[in-house]
Amino acid sequence: MSPRALMRGLFDGLDGACARAFGEAWNPMYQLGALGWFLFWIVTVSGVYLYIFFDTGITGTYESIEAITHAQWWAGGIMRSLHRYASDAMVVVAVVHLLREFARDRMRGNHWFAWLTGVPLLGFIYVCGITGYWLVWDTLAQYVALTSSELLDALPLFGEPIARNFVNQAALSDRFFTLMVLIHIAAPLLMLLVMWIHISRHARARVNPARGLGVVVLGALTLLSLLHPALSQPPADLDIVPATVGLDWFYLPAYPLAALWGEGAVWALLLGSGLLLALLPWLPPRRTPRAAVVDLPNCNGCARCFADCPFGAITLGPRDDGLAYEQQAVVDPGQCMSCGLCVGACPTATPFRTAGELQAGIELPGHPLAGLRERIRQAAETLSGDSRLMVFRCGHGATVASAPGSVAVLELPCVGMLPPSFVDYVIARRLADGVMFAGCGRGDCHFRLGDRWVEERIAGERDPWLRERVPRERVAVSWAGGAERAQRRADVARFRETLAGLPPLVRGGLRQLAAATRFAPVTWPAPVRWAGIAVALALFTVPLGVWDNWPAWRQLASGQAVVRLSFSHASRPKVECKPLTPQELAALKPNMRRQVGCPRERWPIEVELERDGELLYTGEHRPAGLWDDGPATVYARFDVPAGPQSLTVRMRDSGRAEGFDYERTETVDLVPEQNLVIGFDTLEGLVIR
Amino acid sequence: MHLIEWREDFSIGLPGVDEDHRRLIAGINGLHERIEAGADASLVGSILGGIQSDIAAHFALEEKDMTALGYDQLAAHKADHERLLDDILDIIDEVCEGGRYEPATLGGRLSSWFGVHFRTHDARLHSWLVQAGRTPR
Repeated sequence: MSPRALMRGLFDGLDGACARAFGEAWNPMYQLGALGWFLFWIVTVSGVYLYIFFDTGITGTYESIEAITHAQWWAGGIMRSLHRYASDAMVVVAVVHLLREFARDRMRGNHWFAWLTGVPLLGFIYVCGITGYWLVWDTLAQYVALTSSELLDALPLFGEPIARNFVNQAALSDRFFTLMVLIHIAAPLLMLLVMWIHISRHARARVNPARGLGVVVLGALTLLSLLHPALSQPPADLDIVPATVGLDWFYLPAYPLAALWGEGAVWALLLGSGLLLALLPWLPPRRTPRAAVVDLPNCNGCARCFADCPFGAITLGPRDDGLAYEQQAVVDPGQCMSCGLCVGACPTATPFRTAGELQAGIELPGHPLAGLRERIRQAAETLSGDSRLMVFRCGHGATVASAPGSVAVLELPCVGMLPPSFVDYVIARRLADGVMFAGCGRGDCHFRLGDRWVEERIAGERDPWLRERVPRERVAVSWAGGAERAQRRADVARFRETLAGLPPLVRGGLRQLAAATRFAPVTWPAPVRWAGIAVALALFTVPLGVWDNWPAWRQLASGQAVVRLSFSHASRPKVECKPLTPQELAALKPNMRRQVGCPRERWPIEVELERDGELLYTGEHRPAGLWDDGPATVYARFDVPAGPQSLTVRMRDSGRAEGFDYERTETVDLVPEQNLVIGFDTLEGLVIR
Repeated sequence: MHLIEWREDFSIGLPGVDEDHRRLIAGINGLHERIEAGADASLVGSILGGIQSDIAAHFALEEKDMTALGYDQLAAHKADHERLLDDILDIIDEVCEGGRYEPATLGGRLSSWFGVHFRTHDARLHSWLVQAGRTPR
């Protein structure tokens, strides 16, 4: 069994369990994308509330969040907890959504668009979450700030290490918080734009979950917020390094990996897996079914296919064949998913046309209607008895077994592809005693809208209607996801019993628009359902409250302290300034002439660090700038045992062959978790403090 | 003699709808001639099937236009469309199943089947379009 088939089986089982507890309308597995939107709005609204009381400043930040959390726990505290837990939930929902679409292979062919635009959304979720944790300015924020900076510094993005901004309390500036707030607000706005692009090719995209589901999810998150409020860790102090921090494992699992594997490996993993995700739609095996094709002689531009296409692949264009009609249907092969819902909507798709070849105004090349009518006729010949059933099934829901002599099964890409007139045809010509549509789970059509269109066409709520004259007791719909094979068997058996009990079909019987017999997953009795919903919500929310800061991560071994080399220094120029000779002056352009010539290029600086006579670090650092004329920057972190020790740092900035231009030795008594910074001061030279 | 004569004042001013009307009337007249010439039931049934498809497409287009123009009697007009679509299928069933048809009654049924709708509902649509100033003429 392939991993995808295994995943598909798992999801089928999960879908089925949720369908029994939540019912088809509330089934969260059928609306993961919409749940993601809902969580986004919870995070947005709570975020706006928090921003009103948030103070951007080194000391103000932490205090303002403490006030929000404790002084107004009944509002700000809940908002803060909702902000965090809904963000954590968004990670879960997005990942499950991605895995489910993968399991159902909804990424190949023209599905690539939604798949590809979903990949950066994951990135946005993480940028939003990480900058959010940064803003709290507690010890976790401190850890996030330094580790993020060190991760970013591993990429060739910044001229000098940004980790130096967080090297000690003195290095930090208020402006930095303003910048973080800006990113934390801009990133979700950009994310919203990408979310909109993500669904832009879906007609009637679902961006709101069922109201009841939204209420219970919000209720569960609020309950979690009350029982287990999101709290800050101790305030940040850059002069110490907290040995352990409670990590949000939804957002920060890569951070410990950076310590374990190194920054390069983490980036390779993140960028590599991101690239792989993005390329998945084009990896073999490629499957590209042929797009629907319009047949102009049979198209008068009535727009029914345009109205029913779930993927916006059909537009109405100006007529180009000289007929008096104003418009014609135009298929964009780059957006067509080959579901055939347009064929089911076409008024000319009628099997009663026997003069000439059966050809509708729009057809799927792989599934011509003429062939379908022939298959129906052949299938009818295999049936006998008084409850002959013809089942039209799609390839995505529970399978249906044909039973020789009594049940004939015909497969279509989607049950919504079957034009209602074909049902009329089967019944009127007595090719079977009943017709069943056997599709995916209700609300989970593989092609999004097929189940809805089928029911609405039968009920006379959507064109083309199943004709009033077709007795509805002879038509059934069975919605059953992949794992619901037993339900499907039961639906078929129950419907055949109904058919066997019906009086013979008479022409001109009662004409009535009505819904078909509708089979859908059996739900549990109400008390069991509510218990099931409670268990599902608990399974969903409790981990949010647990893994958002547990287990704690030990970033520094017990009894250790940290020594950081962190400074920026402009070394001496390679060539000293000297007065220009008259000849040299004459060689310069008039506007470039000056008395003293100063070549800009500087020496690289070389730095050594010794601890108790043992070499900890040696490195050469190039000056910044295109002409090597800027300051060189040093940033390195060392975890050392606490206790008294002698540290010696040396620096050469003059390009001399031997010896150093600066040297300092200090005996320090480091306490555990202390953050000691070795810097450079133009007046004092190298400093250890 | 034609069953239904097309007259220029039948034109309701929506080019696609008028094109459909002309084609439909031609189709019905053609069928009428076949009936008068004594065509067999299977041929009549197959021609009726073609007319059913054409008229279904025509109604779809007309309903789209009526919806777009905000026609006040859309619901009643559409209900009559649906009734006609049911009726023609019943006629087809009878012709095909019985294997024979009564030329005199079938002609009359067809004439009243589409003719009445054309003279009542479509005429009402035409006058509404003129009153509302939506027609080019």
